[in-house]
Amino acid sequence: MAGGAREVLTLQLGHFAGFVGAHWWNQQDAALGRATDSKEPPGELCPDVLYRTGRTLHGQETYTPRLILMDLKGSLSSLKEEGGLYRDKQLDAAIAWQGKLTTHKEELYPKNPYLQDFLSAEGVLSSDGVWRVKSIPNGKGSSPLPTATTPKPLIPTEASIRVWSDFLRVHLHPRSICMIQKYNHDGEAGRLEAFGQGESVLKEPKYQEELEDRLHFYVEECDYLQGFQILCDLHDGFSGVGAKAAELLQDEYSGRGIITWGLLPGPYHRGATLPFHCSAILATALDTVTVPYRLCSSPVSMVHLADMLSFCGKKVVTAGAIIPFPLAPGQSLPDSLMQFGGATPWTPLSACGEPSGTRCFAQSVVLRGIDRACHTSQLTPGTPPPSALHACTTGEEILAQYLQQQQPGVMSSSHLLLTPCRVAPPYPHLFSSCSPPGMVLDGSPKGAGLCFLSLHSSGEHPSVWGTVFLFVPAPDPGSLGQRPHQTRLAALGQLHGCWSGAR
Amino acid sequence: MAAIKAVNSKAEVARARAALAVNICAARGLQDVLRTNLGPKGTMKMLVSGAGDIKLTKDGNVLLDEMGLHPRIIAEGFEAAKIKALEVLEEVKVTKEMKRKILLDVARTSLQTKVHAELADVLTEVVVDSVLAVRRPGYPIDLFMVEIMEMKHKLGTDTKEVNSGFFYKTAEEKEKLVKAERKFIEDRVQKIIDLKDKVCAQSNKGFVVINQKGIDPFSLDSLAKHGIVALRRAKRRNMERLSLACGGMAVNSFEDLTVDCLGHAGLVYEYTLGEEKFTFIEECVNPCSVTLLVKGPNKHTLTQVKDAIRDGLRAIKNAIEDGCMVPGAGAIEVAMAEALVTYKNSIKGRARLGVQAFADALLIIPKVLAQNAGYDPQETLVKVQAEHVESKQLVGVDLNTGEPMVAADAGVWDNYCVKKQLLHSCTVIATNILLVDEIMRAGMSSLK
Repeated sequence: MAGGAREVLTLQLGHFAGFVGAHWWNQQDAALGRATDSKEPPGELCPDVLYRTGRTLHGQETYTPRLILMDLKGSLSSLKEEGGLYRDKQLDAAIAWQGKLTTHKEELYPKNPYLQDFLSAEGVLSSDGVWRVKSIPNGKGSSPLPTATTPKPLIPTEASIRVWSDFLRVHLHPRSICMIQKYNHDGEAGRLEAFGQGESVLKEPKYQEELEDRLHFYVEECDYLQGFQILCDLHDGFSGVGAKAAELLQDEYSGRGIITWGLLPGPYHRGATLPFHCSAILATALDTVTVPYRLCSSPVSMVHLADMLSFCGKKVVTAGAIIPFPLAPGQSLPDSLMQFGGATPWTPLSACGEPSGTRCFAQSVVLRGIDRACHTSQLTPGTPPPSALHACTTGEEILAQYLQQQQPGVMSSSHLLLTPCRVAPPYPHLFSSCSPPGMVLDGSPKGAGLCFLSLHSSGEHPSVWGTVFLFVPAPDPGSLGQRPHQTRLAALGQLHGCWSGAR
Repeated sequence: MAAIKAVNSKAEVARARAALAVNICAARGLQDVLRTNLGPKGTMKMLVSGAGDIKLTKDGNVLLDEMGLHPRIIAEGFEAAKIKALEVLEEVKVTKEMKRKILLDVARTSLQTKVHAELADVLTEVVVDSVLAVRRPGYPIDLFMVEIMEMKHKLGTDTKEVNSGFFYKTAEEKEKLVKAERKFIEDRVQKIIDLKDKVCAQSNKGFVVINQKGIDPFSLDSLAKHGIVALRRAKRRNMERLSLACGGMAVNSFEDLTVDCLGHAGLVYEYTLGEEKFTFIEECVNPCSVTLLVKGPNKHTLTQVKDAIRDGLRAIKNAIEDGCMVPGAGAIEVAMAEALVTYKNSIKGRARLGVQAFADALLIIPKVLAQNAGYDPQETLVKVQAEHVESKQLVGVDLNTGEPMVAADAGVWDNYCVKKQLLHSCTVIATNILLVDEIMRAGMSSLK
């Protein structure tokens, strides 16, 4: 069904999912911010798929992620549960009790300076206690002087990042955050550790109702709800929350697509132990892999994507990636693809399945960020083409042809996007500065613009989770220092249906 | 602790604290005996056995053994005391026909603890009438049939009312729908329009369609053009409640759309507040489900009021299903304590101490009630106990004056089933505490 944006609702379950989500929404935000730049290709991805427009009670327009997230008591740090956008200090103060009142204050979390700065950059808390977006100067006057007088935005140092709200740039809707008060985020006791615990959280009427109400709020206004994407921690009790949530969604919204990403905070990046890094890569990967159902024109709906990748009832897929894609300056797409030779170009991101993908059944591949000029080979007419790829006329053809050659038995669906994956600080220094095309933002020398991602489903039954695969970024010419060549990550892309069967 | 789970997790916080107070009291009873031993100025204990043998000691261990103050014996005393207390509960419960007036008292007792008095009075009637409305003879009361909705609202500001209107985001959207899909949807929409024409032709009645799944904007528009209000993505539990409120029944397919499945309501309108839309379905004939709309300025007030309402609903449901209530204001505890003191004399041996401890523990309730109201707990208790003995009535504490009052006459009532449950679980918890040999940490202490 064509028509308006095909809305997708995102669920983030767990703290690491929160990290991935924070990077993801930061990336969306970076992409939104670039929309007006004339040099950019016209919008290929439709932001309304993931975002919703709204209004505060004061008539202010808002644009926030269509998101519900669940996390544990103590995980928000200084971020308010209802966010900063829809607040009204005066109304907040009223209470319905006239008798004696004692106040028990928890120790105040030190205000995260990054959050403070972010809020003040975008808006102002007026004297009546209402937060309002800073007024934009009208076109007639001169725009305010940049850089010299305006202070540089504060970027949190990696060491200061303890929770995901420490680096989230995006305002969330008051209905987004759902806290599970029963369990603690940190401390010695009362952790959400077991699958069973997570499952029983969503069996409780209180939390079931909370989730249902929030879902209802977002879903009711959707004209063409495509489905749900669930980011879920696998390493703790949230795995159970995710399983139960998927079950609930399947029950209430049968017919809509449900894609679940099980996430593990893969440990032990050399030189960095932070979830901050792993989640960044996963967010970039997920951002790319989900492109097919977020396209503005001829999108592949979530349900279609899932159908295409399901094989004999098996609904688990694995993901592989190359970030960044190794396009050397002066090279064309056919040239780079030829470089891989016969080997599988991407490295698995998933903790299961065969790395070489020899028994792959179907795949969805996305390549983004390559300039149109580089799509086809620049051979002078008359030169015999070194390969069939060089003879193709469009980038899409080249990619399709390549996949067909690579894996003849596999059903491939490919997408080629001009828009790179935008990243803006804060983002970890994982990819050193190199080839400009679509890689950098605001002059900062780090970016993951070119991404080559694939989702594949294979014939074999997924093996035991636990082993973790190596993710090796492609070698960058002229790279400086920081080259993490042993990042161990695990991520699992999964389509709902036989979740318990697949486990 | 596992024993804590035995307490009804839905009991109000105040009552759970009372249970703890009972526990601590029992432990303290034990401590009182041993406390005086401590130090050179401590009291020496002379123990005389039944045969006249004498022992002098301050040794705690010896005392515990010799005086037989073994926790197990105390615990046995608790058990005996509990049985007696339950008997008293049976004797003093008041069985009445649960008419509206008495239910108002029950509701008010509960609500006044949670919200200020004025608000409690407003909520009292509403809560009672809700339960009475959803009660169906022969079925247990299903409180899910009372839905509580919230509206975050500026006080004193009335919001604009919007009459059912639908709009497209852009005209292009309509065109983009593929022809074949459009035809399929159009057919279904047409069935609804046909039904409406059939039923509403001769009158100026309106027609409303409520769908549990989605409705696309194109269909919404078609329906609107025919004067049909269409609501999409209704919550599942509301589908059931709608049938109860309006009559009629939900159908699963368009083939089943007949006149017989239609319900009725006097008035349907939509109200927009910020980005939320509320649909009001009013003037239902004989509704068996109810919605309570709570308007408040902020989330914590809304939550506070909602919680109060839920507790009030439960109090009434309990009263109706029990068919009886017990006087509040600490009256029962005073009565039970008195009965136990008499009873203890018939207990042989050390278990007697357990019974005494139990009785003392019960009196915490009237004492703390008085204390919180600003009166001296001991003085007040003595007055109340005296009045109870003299008048033979169930007398509790009047929180406005600090004087004894007949709780029933003042309309202060507690639930029978809750008191019964408390007696059971408190005994278990106290016993467990006394009999614990080792403590293993398993989870966060809930005593925050």
